[in-house]
Amino acid sequence: MSPFFSKETEKLLSKLVEDANIVFLYLNTNGNVAICNKKVADIAGKTKEDIVGKHWLHVLYHDIDTAIKQQMFKAVLDDSITYKRSNNFEGVIVDANNAERFISWSITPIIGESGAVEGILFIGNDITALKERELPLRKIDDTLKNIFTSIKEYALYVINLDGNITYYGMGSEMLFGWKKNDIIFKHAGVLHAKDNANSDLPFILEQVKKSGEFELETTLVKKDGQSFPVILTASKFLDTEGKTTGYIFMAKDVTERKKMEYQIFQSEKLAAIGQLAAGMAHEVNNPLFVISGRLEVLLGQKRLAVKVKESLEVMSQQADRIRRLVDRMLKFSRQAPLRLEPININDVIENVLPLLSYQKLTSAKIDVEKELLKDLPLIKGDLNQLQEVFVNLFVNAYQSMASGGKLTIKTSNYQGNYAQVTISDTGCGIPQQSLKNLFMPFFSTKKEGTGLGLSICYNIIKSHNGSVDIETQVNKGTTFIIRLPFAKSEKGGGSAQ
Amino acid sequence: MPNKVLVVDDEAQVGELLTELLKKERYAVKCVTSGEEAVEVISSEDFNIVLLDIKLSGISGIETLEKIRAIKPEQIVIMITGFGYDERLISKSKELGCCGYISKNMPIREIVENFRLFAKTAKKKAAEK
Repeated sequence: MSPFFSKETEKLLSKLVEDANIVFLYLNTNGNVAICNKKVADIAGKTKEDIVGKHWLHVLYHDIDTAIKQQMFKAVLDDSITYKRSNNFEGVIVDANNAERFISWSITPIIGESGAVEGILFIGNDITALKERELPLRKIDDTLKNIFTSIKEYALYVINLDGNITYYGMGSEMLFGWKKNDIIFKHAGVLHAKDNANSDLPFILEQVKKSGEFELETTLVKKDGQSFPVILTASKFLDTEGKTTGYIFMAKDVTERKKMEYQIFQSEKLAAIGQLAAGMAHEVNNPLFVISGRLEVLLGQKRLAVKVKESLEVMSQQADRIRRLVDRMLKFSRQAPLRLEPININDVIENVLPLLSYQKLTSAKIDVEKELLKDLPLIKGDLNQLQEVFVNLFVNAYQSMASGGKLTIKTSNYQGNYAQVTISDTGCGIPQQSLKNLFMPFFSTKKEGTGLGLSICYNIIKSHNGSVDIETQVNKGTTFIIRLPFAKSEKGGGSAQ
Repeated sequence: MPNKVLVVDDEAQVGELLTELLKKERYAVKCVTSGEEAVEVISSEDFNIVLLDIKLSGISGIETLEKIRAIKPEQIVIMITGFGYDERLISKSKELGCCGYISKNMPIREIVENFRLFAKTAKKKAAEK
């Protein structure tokens, strides 16, 4: 065979080729196998005699049609033949069990003495196991990508060094209201409030540049201009060389949390004020009683000078005013235990509505519309206290519609757990700055108000484990949404029993 | 028998006022300023009605009521309070057989009228027994 090797060496070489843990394959120019080693036979699941003389396609692909992979393989092969050069590439073949195997190929065209290609040598390394180890990583990569695009609670966006948005995830669309196509490559300044120094983009970027990452509670701006509270994390976006190429922002909407915190804060504050009011009311009552009583005694005397009598009467009236205020304060702070009974909230509303017509609340024309859900499950509540709540809310609604309007009262089943009452008026609405004090005792925008009505309502609803929400727009109207939990295991209204 | 009333209030001026108001209504009134004193007086003297403040500086109004019940189970007692209507105290007093509950946070005329009304109802009930 070859003049270079001794017989022993030649023998050893064939043995090495045969036993080596590599795929060894020599094809003639027709693509038929001339030589192969044991490894090839193992992978193909055929004897060497079966393989030799067969076309490489039948050997490496087992007659299975994996067109793209075969084409790739063929392209590399043709390249090696045409340009007489070696090629290294990774390709997939199919083994005896029809499983795909990753092979790292080294393809060498063998040139004869005439300078023409005589055959092609394939030496392959089976790297299937290695690839499989990488596979989970690739899966993680895909999963991460899925997570990023499907997260709705967080808005993820990336900006380049010019401040233009280069990545804008799903959560961002939900949170900001901007569609991806409308905002991509726009400047991120549109998402950051300009009037809030804390939210200002240059300020945040400065902090990130200083410390690599920066987290803060701030506000961002929706497409419609509405600002909302977020926890914003901003960090540098680095390329593989560690160079900053942009900034990643992750914003979490904390509107609900803020609301909850505010409610807790509010109810704690109210409880404290309640205690204070109760203590004060008790202390005021005794001296006030003495003053009023003494005035009464004096007024009962005969032959009082007109001037004196008039003065005493004024004092008596003013003392009475204090007395009424103290009475309201005591009501506000009352720790009266609830007298709970099964109640249909519709009945409460029906009981209260006629009371409004007795009071001369307004001379304007007000239409009342009721949409009460039949078969609303019962709640457990204190009838008197709940009536007080609705009287208060209805009176407020009437008073807000000085020039007439419409009062709509709706009851519904909220998520199967709560009786929901919505009371909507078309009145003057509540300005934003008043909203946060709405349930505060002694807060009133009315000339004659004591500012205790809504705070009493709030306390009563809270003691029923319910909630009060408000939607309001100045000059459009206000909607109060009351939710009271259904009585457990006593579902079914009157007619459903 | 004249209508004898014992007023119990730890604030002297409140007691004096109540005394004066009731005297005008032709009651014979005695006034003391503590629960202890009230119990002592009641054990040696008979009153048609006791007007008892619920908040006293020594033993409380409720305790005083309990002690009065021990001495004179049929004694007519009307409670008076500056607390407004405290449901807990009302139900406790009712348990102990008080026949009425008056808030100092009412117009003076109503206080006197309520007193008269409670007293009348209680006496009628007592007579029926």
